[in-house]
Amino acid sequence: MRRPGRALLALGLAVGLPAGALSGCGVLPPLPEPVPSDIVPTAPPVALSPAAGGDALSPDGFDAVERMAVRIRNVGCEELSTGSGFAIDDHTLITNKHVVADSRDLEVSTYDGHDIQVGATATAALADLAVVRTTDPLPSYPELAETDPGPGDPVTVVGYPAGGELTVTEGQVMGSTRDPLNANLGEVLLTDAPVEPGSSGSAALDDKGRVIGVVYAKTADDNSLLVPLSTLQDMLADDTAFTPAKGC
Amino acid sequence: MTEAPVIATPGPAPAPGPRRGARWLAVLLVATIAVGGYLWVTTVRWQHNAAQWEQKARAYAEEVASLRMQLDAAGTELQAARDQLRTATARITDLANEKAQLGDENVASQQVLDYQTQVSAAAGTVASALGQCVSGQEQLVGYLKEADQYRADDLRRYEDEVNALCDEAEQANEALQQELRP
Repeated sequence: MRRPGRALLALGLAVGLPAGALSGCGVLPPLPEPVPSDIVPTAPPVALSPAAGGDALSPDGFDAVERMAVRIRNVGCEELSTGSGFAIDDHTLITNKHVVADSRDLEVSTYDGHDIQVGATATAALADLAVVRTTDPLPSYPELAETDPGPGDPVTVVGYPAGGELTVTEGQVMGSTRDPLNANLGEVLLTDAPVEPGSSGSAALDDKGRVIGVVYAKTADDNSLLVPLSTLQDMLADDTAFTPAKGC
Repeated sequence: MTEAPVIATPGPAPAPGPRRGARWLAVLLVATIAVGGYLWVTTVRWQHNAAQWEQKARAYAEEVASLRMQLDAAGTELQAARDQLRTATARITDLANEKAQLGDENVASQQVLDYQTQVSAAAGTVASALGQCVSGQEQLVGYLKEADQYRADDLRRYEDEVNALCDEAEQANEALQQELRP
């Protein structure tokens, strides 16, 4: 006599096994997953970066190197001269001693023409450097570099050549030399960055915008001379290095 | 009547060939139908799934196109704003320079004015001294015309005073002329 159970079992196996087994083994394609309602990632895919061509943010569109430069008008008793300077903190300017010499009044203005009220002025005996304290806050100031630059290092000079427009010039450090003017103790830096009378007191910056020296003279072959950063730091660290400037 | 006993003699076993083959054929047919059904369902599901993905992709593509247009417009506006900012900063630099130059001219003019004021004052002083010299000399001439009425040493002392006054006026005048000389 035939047993129906065996036939049913065979049928079940015939129906269930092939699809399930073949699907599970990857021979047959599986059923698709349901389409998600939203596939937009919740987290930003990549960190946002400044758009191409975007420079460092500035409150008014001027570079930081321009914002820290100042123009100095030295009103003497009989004559008028101009020079440059730069901020090193909120109320302190660095410039050359010869820029503020024989002064009856110093008038300081910023990159955007604002006048800055000046307080005390002090000059160094052993370098062509001067410190001018201001009562008004200065808009910006750079960092000082860690060491003096070496030959071939890039240099950027920001100042007011010939008392004219704020100008940024670039060049390279050529090396160090004895001061031909004997205005500074020790060696000074020689660069090929163009400067003019009126650039005296300009900040010389490295490629990171840090101060590496102070322009104080121009040579006969159109190179520029800098008071090196190390001299500036030594003078600033010495409480007795600067004495009140004498007016005319 | 007695029934004759039925004696079942075992006959030969049924031949497995045709019936068993038919059974396996049936199983194979059912399996084939099952697999075919599965494939049909899978195909329908994938088609439906693909249609949904395509619909979603087209929606996102439209959104991307719209965002690209917005990005282009924003980029254009940003460039225009950058140009305006560059122009504005250049103008501010120009104005700051103009202000500085005017300040220089103002200071220089004031210094010239102060110098001229000093020169004018000096010229006035020199003129006054020269005038006193002339007056003194006129007075001396008058005294000398009536010399017999005065003591000789008084006249000499007055003459010395007038000469000293005139010398000082002359030196001041000479210094002024030298200062005025270009």
